[in-house]
Amino acid sequence: MAERRARRFLDPKVVARLSRQPIGTRLPMIGTVAGLHKSPHRGSSVEFAEYRKYVPGDDIRRLDWRVYARTDRFYIKEFEADTNLRCYLVLDCSGSMGFTGAGENKLDYARRMISTLAYLFIQQGDAAGLMCAGEKVIHDIPAKRNPAHLQAIFDTIEELEARGETALIPTLHQFAEKIRQRALVLIFSDFFCPVAPLLDCLQHLRFQKHDVVLFHLMDRFELDFPFDRPMRFLDLESPEMLLAEPAIIRQQYLRALNQHLQELRQGCMRFSIELRPAVTDQNYEEVLGEFLLARALKTK
Amino acid sequence: MTFLEPVLLWGLPLAALPIIIHLFNRLRHRTMHWAAMMFLLAATRKSTRYAKLRQWLVLAMRVLALCALIFAISRPLAGGWVGWMLHPAPDAIVMVLDRSASMEARMPGGSTSKRQEAVRLLAEAAKGYEETSRLILFDSALRQPQEVGDAMSLPQLAATAPTDTAADMPALLQTVADWLSRNKPGQVEIWIASDLQSSSWHPDSTRWPAVAAQLAALPQTARIRLLALDQPAQTESAAIAVAEVNRRYRSDPPEVDLVLDLERNNPTPSTRSLTFVSEGSRSTLDLQVQGQSFRYRHKITLDSPTAIGWGRVELQADNNPRDNVAYYVYGPPVPLKSAVVATDEIVGRILKLAAAPIPADTNRQAEIITPEQASQIPLSGYSLLLWAAPPPKDETAKKLRAFVEEGGSLLVWAAGENGSLFGLSLGDVETAEPEKFWKIGKWEEKEGPLAKTDEGLSLPLNELAIFRRQALRGEGTVLAGFEDNGPCLIQRALGRGRLLICASSPHPEWSNLREGLVLVPLVQRLISDGGRRFTQADLLECGATLPVEAGTTILPVEGGRDARLQAGVYRLGQRLIAVNRPAAEADLETLEPAKARTLFEPVKIQLFTEQKQGESKLQSELWRTFLFIMVAFLLVEAMLILPPKTEAERLKVKV
Repeated sequence: MAERRARRFLDPKVVARLSRQPIGTRLPMIGTVAGLHKSPHRGSSVEFAEYRKYVPGDDIRRLDWRVYARTDRFYIKEFEADTNLRCYLVLDCSGSMGFTGAGENKLDYARRMISTLAYLFIQQGDAAGLMCAGEKVIHDIPAKRNPAHLQAIFDTIEELEARGETALIPTLHQFAEKIRQRALVLIFSDFFCPVAPLLDCLQHLRFQKHDVVLFHLMDRFELDFPFDRPMRFLDLESPEMLLAEPAIIRQQYLRALNQHLQELRQGCMRFSIELRPAVTDQNYEEVLGEFLLARALKTK
Repeated sequence: MTFLEPVLLWGLPLAALPIIIHLFNRLRHRTMHWAAMMFLLAATRKSTRYAKLRQWLVLAMRVLALCALIFAISRPLAGGWVGWMLHPAPDAIVMVLDRSASMEARMPGGSTSKRQEAVRLLAEAAKGYEETSRLILFDSALRQPQEVGDAMSLPQLAATAPTDTAADMPALLQTVADWLSRNKPGQVEIWIASDLQSSSWHPDSTRWPAVAAQLAALPQTARIRLLALDQPAQTESAAIAVAEVNRRYRSDPPEVDLVLDLERNNPTPSTRSLTFVSEGSRSTLDLQVQGQSFRYRHKITLDSPTAIGWGRVELQADNNPRDNVAYYVYGPPVPLKSAVVATDEIVGRILKLAAAPIPADTNRQAEIITPEQASQIPLSGYSLLLWAAPPPKDETAKKLRAFVEEGGSLLVWAAGENGSLFGLSLGDVETAEPEKFWKIGKWEEKEGPLAKTDEGLSLPLNELAIFRRQALRGEGTVLAGFEDNGPCLIQRALGRGRLLICASSPHPEWSNLREGLVLVPLVQRLISDGGRRFTQADLLECGATLPVEAGTTILPVEGGRDARLQAGVYRLGQRLIAVNRPAAEADLETLEPAKARTLFEPVKIQLFTEQKQGESKLQSELWRTFLFIMVAFLLVEAMLILPPKTEAERLKVKV
């Protein structure tokens, strides 16, 4: 039943199309098993890495006898190690993610992306975990590569509701402290929070050597503010209410939004964080396709 | 404030519609759950004063545009509303009405006359000022101030009734300026309504600068508004006038010659029907007329040489009914006297005979006087003075000049002495060679004393033989010239009369003029011209001073009731007089409004033109102005609504 519900956000056709493209990382990952991703350690893959001098204790089976025959010196031949990655999908479940304007509900849009990505990661042997942040951490599913683990992720996603104020920033700090091993962290949020503290926690994540990607979800109404008659705006995260004449405040609104986006864009650039804007009236497959393609190009 | 459609002003509350819609919209706001509240709050905080001010300005522009529209369709009149809006109500309003006969022409597209339309507009404009301003009316016929209590009673006042008079606008405005200087009524507005007829305005008159200077020198500023009703007639219009009534000299049966002038606005040849009404009998004549000005002589046969009577000539109805009737009277023949001043007895006798060919005829009298007598006796009773003596000087010359300017004719003959008179001079004597003489080469046959006869026969000037002559010099019209191009007879107009000077003399040693074939018609015509002030004394122009002696009453016989203002036939004791509209009133020339404006400089005037009856330019100018204002408000509103393009582009959010 749960699997059937979960498939509400998982389109097999989209998965089939996207699975042709493996998901890579920009940074070496430290995994527990062999996988598709580059590791900082030497391993037993077919790809030659380097020669180094023999030191006592090294496995003599890895001595390169041909080099010894030529030079009368002992050298160890080392190869690259391929490993799997841990991917953490962080979803903002605050009230603002429940906004529905010109396109799909932002939370639903994020759920589609997360379901698809989780499936793709586990399919290629990587571990996927889920963290949902509302006013506090609602769900924290550790990263596992067991295909049965997908069910837990799908069930959790299904139950989510957008509610309350955002606690994304403390959640990310908490995450950075907790997950010390390198991981790919994908954050899905509208980032309607002050930019400076947000950048602090992103810097924190980068400090822990995580590869961080922000999926910035916005609605077309939020970008264009296309209202022409008086509106009463009810805040989705608080009981606050505002009666406004759109014609008067539109310019200032757009100015403030632009400034916010620009600061976020510059901050991400500064900390080598990938920012992926997504407007909910766009097809999420396109957004994911572009993301995967960019990753593949960078990995090569 | 005066509006032609005041009911529409009840629509003014509709101007509040934009505010009501704005408030209604605010009440009908949509509710929306919103995520990006942080930007909204920031925008509300930062929303500048200008944005709010702009919002209110947009509302104000919409309200004002609606107000302007409602005012435009309410058709405000300039005299009332704009005057009130732009200036405080004046202490006095002086209405100057041109009541000349030309103002009786109908307004284009209507049946009312220009005078009626002017009075209506003045009344409507003045209505709004009844409470605050004194209203004084000056009209061109009486030139007397008249206080007006009720503006709407203007059309009923006698001072606004039609007249057959001419208008003298400089004199009228001089009267107004004098009245203003004398009475000092405070802030004053002068409203002038006229058809700008040139003959009434005398634009070249030297009186204008004095009038303008006097108005400019008033202690308070005088504002002038000129309502110009100068539209030409849209249909064909003609005016009839009796120029002269002449008894034919010694005709049998006795006849009266009526000289009629027909002025038309259409020069194409056409047939006009003239109706003659005389002593109750009526006859109609179809007349082929050509050109704009046409002169026609009509003969009326009388029962007796001393018959007295009156009559009128009528044209069929047209654009101006006032100029379709002309009156005439005739009485017994008037004796015309001539004086011959001659130093030579033969010349004196010849000239006396030419002036009074039949000694028994009492209607033509001539006497011979000496130059000394001429300087002593009064000349005003003479029609013609024949001067065959050395040119007069000093006092005698002055006296002769006064005689000519009064209307008399003076013919000076060469007498063998050099001299000059009023700019014309006689030079040295020339004598033709034996058996030879000078001949007249050309002369003025169309008009003047040497013109052809009524039957079209030329005077035999080509048969004249001049044996002796004196050279003529000076500015004047050459009526006859010698074959060698020297002038023989020169004419110069002086005042109402004329001076002629001849290079030769009727003396047998000088010429063959004594034969009389040229001399007698010439002299007789000059007598008629010089005697016109006696023979035409009963033809008066309306508005002119009447020759009323003390104790004599004026009784209307035909036509008008008031001889000062209305054309008609009147009886003064035993005498009949015909009072007619002044001939200048038929003049079609009007003053350019811009020229009228310059006449009042340095006083500024506001000019309005009335194009059509019922489509008052006064009001149309204003509704156009209000429509223009409305468009201006809407343009400002549009500019306020649109954000600057660069700003809009810059604010477009890119993701």
